[in-house]
Amino acid sequence: MTAARRSSYAHAHAKACALLVALTVTFPAVASAQGRPNFSGTWKYASSVPANYPGSNGWGVPSPTLVVTHSATDLTIEGGQFGATPMKVVYKLDGTDTVWEGTSSSQSGSTAVVKWRTKASWDGNRLVLYTWNTALNQMRDILSLAGGTLTIVRATEQPGPSTNATLTYSKGS
Amino acid sequence: MHRPPVSLLASLLVVLGLEWLPAAAPLPQSNIDPTKGGVGDITGPYEVPDPKWPEWAHPYPKPGYIWGSQGGVFAESPNRIYLANRGELKLPEKVPPNFPGNWGFFNQQAATQPIANMVNTIVVVDGNGKLIEAWNQWDKLFEWGRGPHQVYISPYDPERHVWVVDDMRHVIFRFTHDGKKLVQTIGVLDEFGDNEDLTRLRRPTMIDWLPDGTFFVADGYGNTRVVKFNKDGKPLLKWGTRGTGPGQFNTPHGIAVGGSPPRVFVSDRGNRRIQVFDVNGNFLEAWPGIAPHSMMMSADEHVWAVDSISDRIVKFDLSGHVEYSFGQFGTRPGYTWAMHQISADQEGNLFIAEVFGGRTQKYRPKPGADPTQLVRGRTLMPMGGGTR
Repeated sequence: MTAARRSSYAHAHAKACALLVALTVTFPAVASAQGRPNFSGTWKYASSVPANYPGSNGWGVPSPTLVVTHSATDLTIEGGQFGATPMKVVYKLDGTDTVWEGTSSSQSGSTAVVKWRTKASWDGNRLVLYTWNTALNQMRDILSLAGGTLTIVRATEQPGPSTNATLTYSKGS
Repeated sequence: MHRPPVSLLASLLVVLGLEWLPAAAPLPQSNIDPTKGGVGDITGPYEVPDPKWPEWAHPYPKPGYIWGSQGGVFAESPNRIYLANRGELKLPEKVPPNFPGNWGFFNQQAATQPIANMVNTIVVVDGNGKLIEAWNQWDKLFEWGRGPHQVYISPYDPERHVWVVDDMRHVIFRFTHDGKKLVQTIGVLDEFGDNEDLTRLRRPTMIDWLPDGTFFVADGYGNTRVVKFNKDGKPLLKWGTRGTGPGQFNTPHGIAVGGSPPRVFVSDRGNRRIQVFDVNGNFLEAWPGIAPHSMMMSADEHVWAVDSISDRIVKFDLSGHVEYSFGQFGTRPGYTWAMHQISADQEGNLFIAEVFGGRTQKYRPKPGADPTQLVRGRTLMPMGGGTR
């Protein structure tokens, strides 16, 4: 084998290895992402407000309508479940926190500017969303999609009673 | 929200009787013997506390601010007392001349509003209330919650790690004795799990240990269970579901471990009872008629429970018999409003943290006090190991 042929062979071998490594690293993520649902859409609340749902000045109470925008990098929910005033809330899908300042109803009913924070993570095909603020409101939503129905298993925490509820939404226009 | 003055409410309660209070469930027959201690026995075997203790926080921790809820207190020794503070609150522009210096004066209960500044959340004072250490390096840990819930040192730990329960962040922090390092976090910060989840907690409340370092967590406000961990913090088992039957809970808020063979005493606060289990979670018995915020196992192997209904401190033997009780609701020195953790040093001084009163009081024994009526703190293992 000449030196030139050896060099050409080594070059091709390196390229093949690089391609193999790239496929090995990338393919599962692509396959996994492809299997995950996309929650985008306008969703209408399809069930009655659960019993034992005190919330806190509207916190966590099911919003009649949710507008969800789901991209490769984040999920945005616009609705009235974050307190007395409808809000647009962003969840990054890379597992990092999103933090901002905004108003929130306090436990006593007054409104204050507080810090907000969100985080998202996948659990199989379910998307787990956390929303916290420094007025001591916390919400965990577990989103899943089946048969055109969006199901949200919601748990909230605040200094008062905890809540647990399963909420269902249907695609609206 | 403004409420009637505390003194008026207290008077109404006395006149109408505590039975007048709305009950979440039928009130079982009281286990409290009124002949032991009794109404009017406000400070029991202790002197009326000095309202200016601890010195460093009076009149204010810093101008214009005041302590809010006091979640916990732990007396490691007569001259090293840990105070767990749920943040500082801005005082009104004008305070009345008779303002005594504690948040309970304003009748705002848990003092979460206005939102507290998480400053001086864990401090250490000496017996005179002078500041020894302020663990301000950890204040930021509590910013997304409501501050430390309670604070402990295991009596069996030769390194005397300091454990701080944070209910709203769903974790328990374990710090080195000097507070310089956070060495372990039990649970997942800010993530809450359900009753079946052994990785995550849901608003844990209290903790106690076996001599081998095994520990039990009351979990808590959100879940309705006890979780048992090995000495390294690995979860071993859990027990409890929501309900009113044996082994079921509604806000398991306090826990104490002791006896021979060892038993686990759980304050089932929402069901107004103490439940007793073996160390594997098998139900043994229930003591009805008391709804403790907190409990502690004393050096003489008694369960001292602080009742959230009557604001009384009750001494039980390990069979559930009441041996003594004292205390009364109020905001004057020596009275209490929502005792949240009690601790006693080796000289007989008792410390009581109040979440609604917004203070921690130090009760010194009266001269000649009956020693059986004093809360006796468990002796801690000496630093570095060995026994004494």
